[in-house]
Amino acid sequence: MPTQANAATAVAHAASAPLWTLDGLRAADPVLGLALLMLVALLLAEMLHRTWRIPRICGHMLTGAIAGPVMLRLFEGLELDPWKPLIDLAIGAMLFELGTRIRPRWLLDNRWLAASCLLQSALCGALVMGALVWLGAPWLTAAVAGTVALSTSPVIVLAVTHESRSRGQVTERLLLMAAVNAVIAVIGLKVLRIMLASDADSPTEEFTRASISALRVISGSFLLGVACGFALDRLSPLVRGTPAMPVLQIALVIIASMLAAQWTLSPLLALLVAGMTARARMKHGLTVEPHLGSAGAVLNVLLFICLGLLFSLEGIGRLWPWVLVIVLARLLGTALAVGVLARRSGLGWHQAAGLSLALQPMSSLAVLLAADTFGWTTHLPGAHTPTIQALLLATTLMQVTGPIWTQLALRHLAHETNEG
Amino acid sequence: MSLQSFTPSQALTLGVELELQLVSTHDFDLAPQAEDLLRVLKNHTGTWDVKPEITRSMIEIGTSIQRQHAVLLAELQDLRDQLSRGARKLNIGIAGGGTHAYQQWSQQKIYPGERFHYISELYGYLAKQFTVFGQHVHVGCEDGDRALWLLHALSRYVPHFIALSASSPFVQGVDTGFDSARLNSVFAFPLSGRAPFCLGWDEFGRYFDKMTSTGVVNSMKDFYWDIRPKPEYGTIELRVCDTPLTVEKAAALACYLQCICRYLREQKPFEPAEDDYLVYTFNRFQACRFGLDGEIVDPKTKERTRLRDDILRTLARVDEHALDLQALDASNLIRESLFAGNDAQWLRAQRSAGKPLSAVVEAATQRWMGAG
Repeated sequence: MPTQANAATAVAHAASAPLWTLDGLRAADPVLGLALLMLVALLLAEMLHRTWRIPRICGHMLTGAIAGPVMLRLFEGLELDPWKPLIDLAIGAMLFELGTRIRPRWLLDNRWLAASCLLQSALCGALVMGALVWLGAPWLTAAVAGTVALSTSPVIVLAVTHESRSRGQVTERLLLMAAVNAVIAVIGLKVLRIMLASDADSPTEEFTRASISALRVISGSFLLGVACGFALDRLSPLVRGTPAMPVLQIALVIIASMLAAQWTLSPLLALLVAGMTARARMKHGLTVEPHLGSAGAVLNVLLFICLGLLFSLEGIGRLWPWVLVIVLARLLGTALAVGVLARRSGLGWHQAAGLSLALQPMSSLAVLLAADTFGWTTHLPGAHTPTIQALLLATTLMQVTGPIWTQLALRHLAHETNEG
Repeated sequence: MSLQSFTPSQALTLGVELELQLVSTHDFDLAPQAEDLLRVLKNHTGTWDVKPEITRSMIEIGTSIQRQHAVLLAELQDLRDQLSRGARKLNIGIAGGGTHAYQQWSQQKIYPGERFHYISELYGYLAKQFTVFGQHVHVGCEDGDRALWLLHALSRYVPHFIALSASSPFVQGVDTGFDSARLNSVFAFPLSGRAPFCLGWDEFGRYFDKMTSTGVVNSMKDFYWDIRPKPEYGTIELRVCDTPLTVEKAAALACYLQCICRYLREQKPFEPAEDDYLVYTFNRFQACRFGLDGEIVDPKTKERTRLRDDILRTLARVDEHALDLQALDASNLIRESLFAGNDAQWLRAQRSAGKPLSAVVEAATQRWMGAG
């Protein structure tokens, strides 16, 4: 354990170290450090993309992982706190964009697709939970892990479809299912919270409180999203035809995110609904550039670097069977749900395989973004640590490799990328 | 390879083929989902046929052999309804129209198939630029000689069909000023335009042999003529029409052709001659460029008249044949469309309301898919 004096000496030494050394970089201004990291991330991503056709976001995340606590320790977790609003904004921008891409009416036009979405979420969640309970996890922690694991990262799939410029049935279903299962995950966490109430000292009172809270969050997020969509519709004519349109969209995304956080609502739900409302209201008048324009693209790079910085490999040697079980249960659940209803919902076998694989990137961030707001972690004081740690490791693994699976699926199984 | 013999078929029977656009419901650009739609429609209940076309954003549908307007229309409506249900299941739209208003030809993907890959390799970028959508109408003939006679006699009426069906004013995001810009894409192909003037099947066979000996063509499919004989079906095939925005218009156009064919066959108002083609490309251009407001020159009398007036006079002449063929509803729809304007005008009207082109495509999609 270093003493205070030793630590002070180390900091002083680091501060005086040249910038090109590791110590120098660790002591550098965080803004400068992040800017340098972005530069490295861009170069590494480009190199990986040109050499092995690996999605660029893998390069961005890898840069973050190398610079983060796992390897070079240029950034420690706590240092990311000041950047959280920017990260939230990057996610918010992508969720809003995803919302504008989704046509909920499709779920009514194709009931088998709706069934497929529900079955995929249910099977993934249930299989992950069942497998974890079988390995010895307590059911409640396993249920939380299953609920988090059922969702696919909307941010990753949107980034990969943008980069590969894919178009087609699998791409459309991928985006829709990623949005739907993220929403189901959020609602699932709220339901778990209500179920937890039955274990409280005064169950009836706690149950009522939890139910009201869940209703407030879901309906409040929905209303906030609708209001945001209406606001964009009303304000757009003022800036139509000017380069300010993406700025207006970003401003509204920030406002919606901040209000959702302020009112402890779900930013995920609010922004998805905002995007859907804006599309429904404005129809062809709504132009949404990828990442909401070039400013959004910068935030996007920053987001994936930060995702890399958050990676953790702690306990991998001990927990790898648990991690493997989570990953395989998700894959099995998705493949079963998509495969069983493939033909009925109008999908070919190759496409079903492609969609199952493309749905593999896991989503911790979108769910945790909501989860932090819900504060469910505080309601799990006795959470089974290995389970949570295994979930984190599985998420890390499927975030860093997920874009590759999605890209492979869209390119080689679905043949929907532009290179095809 | 020699020209195959002409399979006899019942005179004046009809077959309609429509090439249709598949569009995304998100941005209304072309969507490469032909294989998906074909799979969904694999077990359709109609006697009609659905096939892939050269790029993945197109399909072609073909009716069964028909004789009367009402039955043809009913089949086309059934086809439209089943196609629309399939499209909704896949979250795509289906639209008529001769061109997509703003698709980028370079983004199109060739449908996986031997014939389509052959065309793609032979014609290069022209194959992708051939992402245009037409209506083909087959008319049955008893033998090759009569088929060729009818083919050349019909050349005088080709501008009628171009102007009436014109629905391709926008190409690559701009208003071309043409009512039918689609035919300009077809004209880029070396074996497009008019068929050689032969009135006998044997003579046509000798022409075909000479062409195959040059290695330029292998089959009749390699000719992209405005009207071409189809010996395996026992028909002549009119290929100048843009795909209309509704199946009702498609059925009416087919029956208008049927009426003219009956009029020509029974009354023989003139004998076709090579000199008829002196004004052919001029008349064709006028119809493409100005639609129903264009002017045409009568190849026999050399009189110059408005296309709209010429169609009105023709409708009057063929009305008794329409009555006999039970196609008066079709004639009336054609007559009404002369005053209401063709589909190109309808598309321009959508645009003039200040809407973006994606909204124009959406409106066309809603019009084609109807309530089905």
